Amino acid sequence: MSFNFNDDNLEKIELLKSKYPKVQALSLPLLWMAQYQDGFISLEAIQEIAKICETPMMEIYKVSTFYSMFNLQKLGKYHIQLCKTLSCKLCNKDDVLKSIQNELNIQVGESTSDGLFTLSQVECLGSCGTSPVMQLNETYYENLTPISIVEILKALK
Amino acid sequence: MSLVTVNIDDKSYEAKENSLLIDLLILHDIKVPYFCYHESLGADGNCRMCMVEIEGKKRPQIACDTFVSDGMSIQTASEKISSVRKRILELELINHPVDCPICDQAGECKLQDYYMDFGLYDSNIDMKEKVHNKKHIALGSSVILDRERCVLCTRCVRFTSNITKSGELGVINRGDKACISTVPGMKLDNPYAMNVVDLCPVGALTSKEFRFAQRVWFLKSTPSICHGCSTGCNIFIDHNQEKYKEDKIYRIRPRKNREVNGDFICDYGRLSYKNLQENRQQELLNKSNVISYEDALLELNSKISGSKNIVILVDANLYNEDIAAISNFSQKIGAKLVCPTECYFDDSFGDDWLKSDYKCANLQAIKNYKIDSLFSSDQQIDLLINFNHPSFSKFSSKQSVEFSTHKGSSAELVLAIPAYSEYSGTTINDANIEQYSQKAITTDVATISEYLSDLSKVAL
Amino acid sequence: MIILEDKKIVSSKFHIENSHTLSVAKEHGTYSSIERLFTLSSEEIIAIIKESHLRGKGGGGAPAGNKWALMPLGELKPSFLAVNCDESEPGTFKDREIISKDPHLLIEGIICTCFAIKSHTAYIYVRGEYKEFSNILQSAIDEAYEAGYLGENIFNKGYKLDVIVHRGAGAYICGEKSALLESLEGKRGHPRVKPHQQECEWYFDNPTLVNNVETIASVPFIVKNGADAYKEFGTSSSPGTLLFAMSGHVNKPGVYESEFGICMMDYINHYGGGIKNGKKLKAIIPGGASTKILTADEVGLAKLDYETMKALGSSLGTGGMIVMDEDTNMVEALKNLLEFYHHESCGQCTPCREGTGWVDTIMQNLLDGVARGEDIEKILEISKTMNGQTICVFAPAVSDVIDGFITKFRSEFESYVREDLT
Repeated sequence: MSFNFNDDNLEKIELLKSKYPKVQALSLPLLWMAQYQDGFISLEAIQEIAKICETPMMEIYKVSTFYSMFNLQKLGKYHIQLCKTLSCKLCNKDDVLKSIQNELNIQVGESTSDGLFTLSQVECLGSCGTSPVMQLNETYYENLTPISIVEILKALK
Repeated sequence: MSLVTVNIDDKSYEAKENSLLIDLLILHDIKVPYFCYHESLGADGNCRMCMVEIEGKKRPQIACDTFVSDGMSIQTASEKISSVRKRILELELINHPVDCPICDQAGECKLQDYYMDFGLYDSNIDMKEKVHNKKHIALGSSVILDRERCVLCTRCVRFTSNITKSGELGVINRGDKACISTVPGMKLDNPYAMNVVDLCPVGALTSKEFRFAQRVWFLKSTPSICHGCSTGCNIFIDHNQEKYKEDKIYRIRPRKNREVNGDFICDYGRLSYKNLQENRQQELLNKSNVISYEDALLELNSKISGSKNIVILVDANLYNEDIAAISNFSQKIGAKLVCPTECYFDDSFGDDWLKSDYKCANLQAIKNYKIDSLFSSDQQIDLLINFNHPSFSKFSSKQSVEFSTHKGSSAELVLAIPAYSEYSGTTINDANIEQYSQKAITTDVATISEYLSDLSKVAL
Repeated sequence: MIILEDKKIVSSKFHIENSHTLSVAKEHGTYSSIERLFTLSSEEIIAIIKESHLRGKGGGGAPAGNKWALMPLGELKPSFLAVNCDESEPGTFKDREIISKDPHLLIEGIICTCFAIKSHTAYIYVRGEYKEFSNILQSAIDEAYEAGYLGENIFNKGYKLDVIVHRGAGAYICGEKSALLESLEGKRGHPRVKPHQQECEWYFDNPTLVNNVETIASVPFIVKNGADAYKEFGTSSSPGTLLFAMSGHVNKPGVYESEFGICMMDYINHYGGGIKNGKKLKAIIPGGASTKILTADEVGLAKLDYETMKALGSSLGTGGMIVMDEDTNMVEALKNLLEFYHHESCGQCTPCREGTGWVDTIMQNLLDGVARGEDIEKILEISKTMNGQTICVFAPAVSDVIDGFITKFRSEFESYVREDLT
């Protein structure tokens, strides 16, 4: 197996190279790009990125494991990332979590058997004024209640 | 750079202005604990162990990030510092398995040393609460990683990133899940990889070759010079004679020499001890029959007296003292002294760091004695006397004598000689530095000088 | 000080529909500082910013002008501006408002700042989770390029400026300025060992200024109206305004800009509509999770400025207040925050890497009913070790958090202790 950026991305990479003083700075943008292209980041993608960034593969691999949003494994189609930090906790995110677990019958860290949903709890999403909040893939859902979350999930099924 | 005076624990020391405080402490043997700092790798500041108190600073400072200035006043053992060190050491140890009884590093482990020096507290954490991690990971190049014992000083990572620039190792993950790793499916694989074992201050990186072989406190370390190539890296030969057994080499380690090899050696040199004790010639043979030392000398003498055209081959690994004796000897008997050096040359071995293209330790002496290094014979040789030169079999002669460290000689008369680890002498490396190797292992076998001196007595 | 009117510098357009678009933003005054900007020299702008006493709004509160003055203006090397939008401090959600509701104000601030420090490239480091909001910011940047406000020859003034949105990927520590730069260089976000002298930051060894989004967004007002106009807001040592915010147990959580110096309780009541469900206040974490918690009594004394908060033993931080009512379980609240720090420690240096995990473990034991009285002392002791021995201020902040919770609400922690355990 090998990984190649698609033509669209290759064009973007050329543009990105002109925006930074050194090509090593592209590691985060390229990891994002690979994750969008494949849904996760494979070792082959890491190898390709290392080539473009002119750096040993380890440099990219260790970066990919540092940031919590990079997925080195495939996830469900919908990645539920419920914020668990203090403001959300004070505003009853635990009830929302229970509601999700009941609705999908999975625990935190698990995916539904149909591969549709993966449930994670994440640290502060920076949306404390509208807590509880979750990020579904890249979209914020704010002011959640145990009832509204079920409606959101039902609509996705 | 000008010299300044600093005060450490109420004593005055001179130091170069703006030099690193930790280097000064190490130079003067002032006890300071550290894991991440290493003279060859520089400061990183991650272990936070080398805390000292500096007059005028509110908080303790790390010595590896403190630059010396005139009049600086430093306390390394105040109550405040002792307590800080103790508490940071406790944090280093909270997730450590404390499996010293089965750890190869025991006896040369900085965690153990510092615990005895600065720790000595009662453990506050249950074994079951520790963060457990993988314990036996083969990284490649005979290096085994135990992640539970690792203190994440990143010396190994900095070695592969900054020194070998091969970049195999890195810290992955975050927080207390951070650990040393290779890229999945990839190996630690470079000609200097095993240096990470010496660099590791704890038992996280150990050598597969040395694992469970010997407790370090039984080992004797003898300073010597690696004979793997003409760089002349300074080494320690670590050996031990167990009861009723032969004295045995268990490992070779680099010995610091700023002018030659710094703190490192290559893996080829490191593992060359195996060849020093395998397949060794121990006996004196005449046409495959074991003979006595006296008979051997008589036989050698008679061969010399009966031959006209004598060629002496000399190995470019022998000590200067041997080469001098052989040179004298060859003049005396009117022999031609040669050392074809082509067989040592291997440009696939050499690199731009420690490994040279010539795999012999004393090439410079061959040059100094102006010994013929291009010899190829078209004349009939009556007697060929070889002093352990590897190309012996390439030459034909009516009669042959071989002084040999290893078995397998085809000569009529075979005389066992010691390997370099078994007697003392000097070699000259390719930078023209003369270096001394001490005798590490005791053997009954006579040295070349002894043979030649005794031979002269027989010849009289 | 009673709040009589809303004084706004940064949030004046937040309520306007489509304020994120160039036409609407311009109609309401964005980019109006540019004309004056180009009549000034670098030195003059920096002097104005110094004079305004504008303080960094990312949590540290350091005087921005002093930081700008560290940039070597005569350098042959290129210099950079890195705008810190890695907003990840729990309780803080103000920069997000700026980049999604008035991104052109930020761009205008970037133009002013870059012109002042002679930089031709600015990166906006936006936390990875804020994708929706950074998309809005990116469209605004695209519009600005289109209009000639960014690019080769901005406003036809012969000045080149590129602005690049750089997306983080989930790491709280990248809000620390040196970790941010490491990340921007494509590495793990490990904070750098502090330099020995005051100096600017370095991006690939080039002089660089790092400022928070809101700080930069405050610059156009000062450039346009002068330092004195800015100092009309707030107090003499904490001049200007801040996008204070509330979350937790308040009726109307959110971001509300206010000048410095008003009473915390007035702010909570005026903007936040008081404590939720008519409950009594128990405590407030005043400026993002990493500032020391204040008891209800202390809150009664608290004013929203740097000096008063310092006098109370806490700090103003990001101004993001987390409000807790009388029913809040302080043991669970601290455990929640320690999980956060445990998860977010970069792991580079020992006291933080091991300490954050250890205190989290002990707190779990406490909640599980398997901790002894000495374990509370143990947490405080570890907390002490984490304070002042590390590369960055992450661990000292954790230490403050622990110290605040345990010393101020000790009896709650002790009620979890099991003395019968051996």
